[in-house]
Amino acid sequence: MQRLLAQRAISLVFVLFSITFLTFLVLYLAPGDPVRQMMGGRQDPVRYEFLRHLYGLDKPFLEQYGNYLWKLLHGDLGLSYKYPERPVWDLLQRGVPVSLQLGMMALALSLLVGIPTGIYASLRQNKWQDTGIMALMLTLYSIPSFVLIPILWLIDVWLYQNKLPSLPIAGWGNPENYVMPVMVLAAASAGFIARLTRNSMLEVMRQDYVRTARAKGLRESTILRRHIFRNAMIPILTVLGPASAFLVTGAFVVENLFAIPGIGYLAVQSIGQRDYPVVLATTLLLAIAVVVMNLVTDIAYTFADPRTRET
Amino acid sequence: MSVIVEPAQVIAETTAQTRRRGFLARLSKNRVAFVSGIFIVTLVLLSLIGPTVYQQLLPPEQQQWRDGIFQDYDAINANPSALHWLGADYLGRDNFARLLGAIRISLLVAGVVELINIGFGGILGLMAGYRGGMWDILFSRLADMLFAFPGLLLAILIAAVFGSVARDVFGSTGRLLLVAAALSLVSWPLMFRFVRGETLSVKKEDYVTAAQSIGARVTRILFRHILPNVLWLVIVAATLDVASVIVNEATLSLLGLGIEEPGTSLGLMIFKAKDKLQQYPLQIFFPALTITLLVLAFSFLGDGLRDALDPTNQG
Repeated sequence: MQRLLAQRAISLVFVLFSITFLTFLVLYLAPGDPVRQMMGGRQDPVRYEFLRHLYGLDKPFLEQYGNYLWKLLHGDLGLSYKYPERPVWDLLQRGVPVSLQLGMMALALSLLVGIPTGIYASLRQNKWQDTGIMALMLTLYSIPSFVLIPILWLIDVWLYQNKLPSLPIAGWGNPENYVMPVMVLAAASAGFIARLTRNSMLEVMRQDYVRTARAKGLRESTILRRHIFRNAMIPILTVLGPASAFLVTGAFVVENLFAIPGIGYLAVQSIGQRDYPVVLATTLLLAIAVVVMNLVTDIAYTFADPRTRET
Repeated sequence: MSVIVEPAQVIAETTAQTRRRGFLARLSKNRVAFVSGIFIVTLVLLSLIGPTVYQQLLPPEQQQWRDGIFQDYDAINANPSALHWLGADYLGRDNFARLLGAIRISLLVAGVVELINIGFGGILGLMAGYRGGMWDILFSRLADMLFAFPGLLLAILIAAVFGSVARDVFGSTGRLLLVAAALSLVSWPLMFRFVRGETLSVKKEDYVTAAQSIGARVTRILFRHILPNVLWLVIVAATLDVASVIVNEATLSLLGLGIEEPGTSLGLMIFKAKDKLQQYPLQIFFPALTITLLVLAFSFLGDGLRDALDPTNQG
């Protein structure tokens, strides 16, 4: 167990290290001179050299990268290009809680919808309820978020025109702002989790220990709760990592279309503005989120499944 | 001189034939997958010849009205009509022509991405799985690293950073190829992993050991003995991946990092139409419906192909 954790921690550091390197390299090779852009049209050689030095852009590549890593280890993400002399952390600070809130609510909703519908479908296997629910869930899973959003908008507009209670179309901050983005973001993972839950339930129902439980005369509800459900949930646990990564990806579109000031919005904005330090920081932050979530999933897995705990 | 046919050859041919017939029969039994396949073939044909045919239906002097770029100022935000079958957009450009062009772009990008995935990820996976050793470790680590990049972020980064250069130097084709390259950077590791894993299990089979023991060359073992048994997985994985590539391309274009105006893409059409959703919902309806159907069709076809091709699923 401890060895596994140590191995995972080492590979985590390795992966994050390579991600910073790759991102740094891409941004280093990027065409254009960020300092020139920062200064607009002004010709001021003294200020130009000052800014170049301030951002460390007068150094060779490896030294720049080394400096970046060194500062990173001290919790310093550097300065923004777009807002000169302003620390990147200032900009990230507001986005992180917003994205976290959005992602957590979406994950919770997808579990709340996905698991019960999956269980229900598995109990009605191959009946029309099962087929119907699974078709719906497959549609939810495969429909892109930028198709789902206009559909919701149209419904919302219709509600508004008919003087029914409606929701704000974009923005963030009030509870009524949360409804549509969370629904859209949760849709795909809810569909995925529902299908997985159903298949996992059906797999477990075939096991010998379920037959044994039934043979010794346990009540059906007890079998369902104690023998089937708890074992069927193990695969669900393993997809929480990928599912959270999925939520991060989906957030790019959702945050940008709903104008939510989260990390996905900031990432796309800063890429557009060539604010490379912010791009680096958001990339790293999102990668850490995914990698850590995968690690947590692995640990949770060893707790949930005694068979993996032997060594 | 009579041609001597070896019995073994006859047997090999007939089993190959029955297998092929069996494949089509199994695929056509899965009605959803079969219909999806027909739908995809239709769309491919439509995207290839559709734009030209759609223009040729008009007399020559009016043909440019339907090229998807020409602005018909009398038809700004027009509803569907005999002239503009799906209406026109906010600049008076023909929506049907733009939709056909967008489908062509979607399929083209998906095709290029899968070519790169199969050519790069597939062959590397075959080599890494068969040979093992340094290259295996190196490429497996590289694939792990690219997997850790959250979703589209790397593609967004590449497309954004090098997008303007690609456009300035190579024009809109360069931009399209850059988008494809950026998207395949995100998706080849999956193909690599699939093929590597399957190769690892296939190379332990008796017939591979037998081929090795009679001194067959490595290329012969790879291409005659291993590749045919891995190919089904490559086809299935590529088909399923097309669905996500289509969505990813549209996402990039939607975020302003993929295909640019006056070019056309499903994501771009949705993005441009979203502001006038309330007044002209049809403008967003058609591209949204098209991309949904495309994604569903490729997913169903991929699932159907897996059921029909998976050698462990012959029953």
